[in-house]
Amino acid sequence: MTWLFFRLILRPLWADKARTTTTLLSIALGVAVIFAMDLAGEAAAGSFKSSMETVSGQDDIEILATGGLPVDLLAQLSQLPYPLKFSPRIEDYALLANKRTVPLIGVDIFANALELESSGEPTQPVKPTERGVFTTASVGRKGETIWLQINDQPLSYKILGIIDSGQVSGDLVLMDVEDAEAVTNRRNRVDRILVSLPAAEKVNVDTWVDTLAKHVPAGASVRPIGARKEENRKMLAAFRWNLRVLSYIALMVGAFLIYNTISVSVVRRRAEIGIVRAVGATRQLMTFAFLAEALFFGVAGGGLGLVIGRILAEGAVKLVGLTVQALYVSSTAAPVEFDLAAAALSLGSGIAVSLLAALAPALEAGQIPPTEAMARGRIDTQLQQATPRHLVYAGVLLAIGAALCQLPPIVGKPFGGYLATLALIAAASLSSASLIQFGARHIASWGGVQSLLAGRSLAGALRRSSVLVAALATAIAMMTSVGIMVGSFRETMLTWIDRQIRADFYLRPAGDAAMDRHPTIAEEVATKIEALPGVVAVDRFRAYSIRYNGLPVTLAAGDVRAQMRYGRTSLKSGDMQDAIKSMLAGEAVIISEPFSEKHRVKVGDPITIPLGTGKPTFRIAGIFLDYSSENGYIILDHSIIKRYLPADEPSNLAIYTKPDVDRAALRTQIERSYAPRRIVVFENNSLRNEAIRIFDQTFAVTYALEAVAIFVAVMGVAGAMLALIIDRRREIGLIRFLGAAKQQVRGIILFEAAFIGLFSQILGVLSGSLLSLVLIFVINKQSFGWTIEFHAPVLALLSALAFVFVATVIAGLYPAKIATTLNPIEVLHEE
Amino acid sequence: MDRVAILQIDQVTKQYQAQGQQVRALDGVSLTLDPGQFVALVGRSGCGKSTLLNLAGAMDFPTSGEVRIDTQITSNLDDAQLTALRRNKVGFIFQNFQLLPTLSVVENVELPLLLAGSPDARKSATESLAWVELSGYEHRMPHQLSGGQMQRVAIARALVHRPRLLLADEPIGNLDTTTGNLILDLLRRATSDFGTAILMATHSQDSTRVTDQTIVMRDGRIQ
Repeated sequence: MTWLFFRLILRPLWADKARTTTTLLSIALGVAVIFAMDLAGEAAAGSFKSSMETVSGQDDIEILATGGLPVDLLAQLSQLPYPLKFSPRIEDYALLANKRTVPLIGVDIFANALELESSGEPTQPVKPTERGVFTTASVGRKGETIWLQINDQPLSYKILGIIDSGQVSGDLVLMDVEDAEAVTNRRNRVDRILVSLPAAEKVNVDTWVDTLAKHVPAGASVRPIGARKEENRKMLAAFRWNLRVLSYIALMVGAFLIYNTISVSVVRRRAEIGIVRAVGATRQLMTFAFLAEALFFGVAGGGLGLVIGRILAEGAVKLVGLTVQALYVSSTAAPVEFDLAAAALSLGSGIAVSLLAALAPALEAGQIPPTEAMARGRIDTQLQQATPRHLVYAGVLLAIGAALCQLPPIVGKPFGGYLATLALIAAASLSSASLIQFGARHIASWGGVQSLLAGRSLAGALRRSSVLVAALATAIAMMTSVGIMVGSFRETMLTWIDRQIRADFYLRPAGDAAMDRHPTIAEEVATKIEALPGVVAVDRFRAYSIRYNGLPVTLAAGDVRAQMRYGRTSLKSGDMQDAIKSMLAGEAVIISEPFSEKHRVKVGDPITIPLGTGKPTFRIAGIFLDYSSENGYIILDHSIIKRYLPADEPSNLAIYTKPDVDRAALRTQIERSYAPRRIVVFENNSLRNEAIRIFDQTFAVTYALEAVAIFVAVMGVAGAMLALIIDRRREIGLIRFLGAAKQQVRGIILFEAAFIGLFSQILGVLSGSLLSLVLIFVINKQSFGWTIEFHAPVLALLSALAFVFVATVIAGLYPAKIATTLNPIEVLHEE
Repeated sequence: MDRVAILQIDQVTKQYQAQGQQVRALDGVSLTLDPGQFVALVGRSGCGKSTLLNLAGAMDFPTSGEVRIDTQITSNLDDAQLTALRRNKVGFIFQNFQLLPTLSVVENVELPLLLAGSPDARKSATESLAWVELSGYEHRMPHQLSGGQMQRVAIARALVHRPRLLLADEPIGNLDTTTGNLILDLLRRATSDFGTAILMATHSQDSTRVTDQTIVMRDGRIQ
């Protein structure tokens, strides 16, 4: 077997380095992308524990509530006859001078001092007498004065000590809980109370959670310390899952190339197979020999892929982090770590896909009878025909795909949609042979002799050319479908923004935006602006990150009266007038569409929200379209939220002005009214541009994944064309004998590349357009709950398609060069 | 009227480097072919027949000596000129027919004209097929033909552009005697109908019955 593998498999692979290299690289890149996205996703998700949770130290349980817990509760809990240690905690964010936002944590310095000692640089366990903070090393040096923006206020602090980097991952600013309470306007409230169990009780965390739950107000929740990380993971599950599915596209394209490579191997070695069979090798042995070739590609390509993936992960984590931050939660990417399970999964996928792709040609190798193989002993130039049977199968697969789209999500995942995608791709692949045959007959003959020969050559080697076209078409279909989905999403979002953004100015505290960060603006700023001439209304909007059904949600309070008078919020379902009235009466809330989809609630349903220490129930009066958060919104009138939460400072202000006002002058007045606070003012159109910027940034990772799939496909075309030319060298030599100039030979090969590009584009765009419907109306809807209107970004798609077409033709340049350098005498007589 | 030789091979030597050693495939070979002349090159495998045909067809160049096709010295021509020379003045026939399996019969025949950019390629190809008595076979594919029919298609292709020189490398090597004789008769007819000079490499002494001259080669030399 070893001898057979070496002689029949490895030696020919070594001899055909170009094909071997491109196949190896295609698998390597496929595996690399999967591995990189897995590592990057893990780093982005794993970072939640780093910033906020690492200073939890020995704590086991946390108590928290929307809008914070009263400080008195800490005293009450401490008096309970339990051997527990309670410590208060405030969590917020601070903007550094270098515009970086870092977590700001307020803890009891006395209780935590010993845990904060940095190696070699101990901090004194004394309460600081001046306004001081502890930071990680990259924020500043001990003794240095740093500038921090907390909410809208610029403040300076002295760094009293450096936190041991071993205790945290990511940067951090730590201050005493009392200072934090003051600068963050918590007003006798803390965000969490952390509970430390005695060593002997650490195994009974759940029991203590139940015990403590009896001693906290109704709106508060008690849970183990690790719960937040799990909630974040749950929140990111759909996003990471879809990213993971997307990351498999490149490997899927690679599968076509593996199939092509093994098929070529089998066809080229028919004579050898016949000889080996004739001297006693079994059918199974031949099948195993070619599966071993696929295994070689899977293992070697996969191994290389892990190395490339580890490198790619560094870049990918930035892209994934941007999306996570824009759509979900504040995160600073944790360092990328080599994860053995992820490596095993990626490598295993590479090997499995290689073996599956090689199965059909390997079985064919086992079926070759010795006599036929020895008699034929020729290259793959026999005529092949596409049969109508393939088109019938394609039609059946399309029908199955359409039926699969009707399936509801299974455990929250759109498996029906994924299977429909596979069915569509399979249908497109089955149609590729017919398309090439049709194209060769009806299109290729129009372009002169070079075009004719190129078309006929592709049609004459359908088995190979159809696989190449299928591979490239798959990549193009993905590019087209994701392009249409993102374009549709963008267009829908822009329409929504244009309808939504009606105020003339929007204000928020300076610093990066994130879904779970809601720094506030002092109320006096809103009052001052309200008094400015030219201002007709100031709508205050206050947001809180809360947990609903174990998932993060944004709870927001707005001025329903101002919205009614000046805004244009419309409801997707529910009656607007009823919603306004019942919201003002404190009976109802409205929710965003993703919230409704995610939590399976509809208009009229009751909803119980943890608010401060209470847990009031409201009626859902309406569902509104929203494209700014996948987590979802619950909106109440601000007069209602004030009943439960004392803090009334807004997170954002929307300013409506008189129609004839001098906007530039008014803007200056607004800026003066909040100085020296750190607030940013967006005019109507700049907020729109900012939203577009964030949107485009969010989908950068998608484009990167598509680019890799396209690259793999185009590289595969180059490698496979080279193999095709080597096998067709006799024909190329012949046409040189018949009077073809070198330029004509080059032209034939480039026409072949162009036809592969053209046929792939036709198939890719057709199947991609259908796929986009599955993405928009099935996968997106079931994963994220967004209603997206179909818009084809024609110009962007045409540019991308033109780029891919040119890349495919360029991929033919090297094979064309090889073809022109073939010696006609040698190649014609070598048989 | 002067009969200018279509092919003049003058003291031609051809050496190859094979496995680190110099191999002399042709050694001081000279011959001349006039229009309409049918010459057979006879000899064992490896005696230099195919090498001589390649030089005569401007597909290869001598190490020393000169090859003139219709007075043009092949060694002095660049790639474009050589291509033009082959397109206009030379036709090739091979032992194993060498038809392109993906093209129909008529497309195979018209290929040299299409490559040369000639107008009316299809009409000329149809006429050429009629000349080899294969009218009605235009749209068949090569694999649907017998060996003799394939070689007739190859002859139609080689003559479609009315070359002045036809080089045939073992044209009946893969055919039975009866079919081979038909092919030889067809070639003989080409010399008279079109004035084409034919240089034919062959193993078969029988072939010489239709030729004007037989040249015996041995170890790269004419005997």
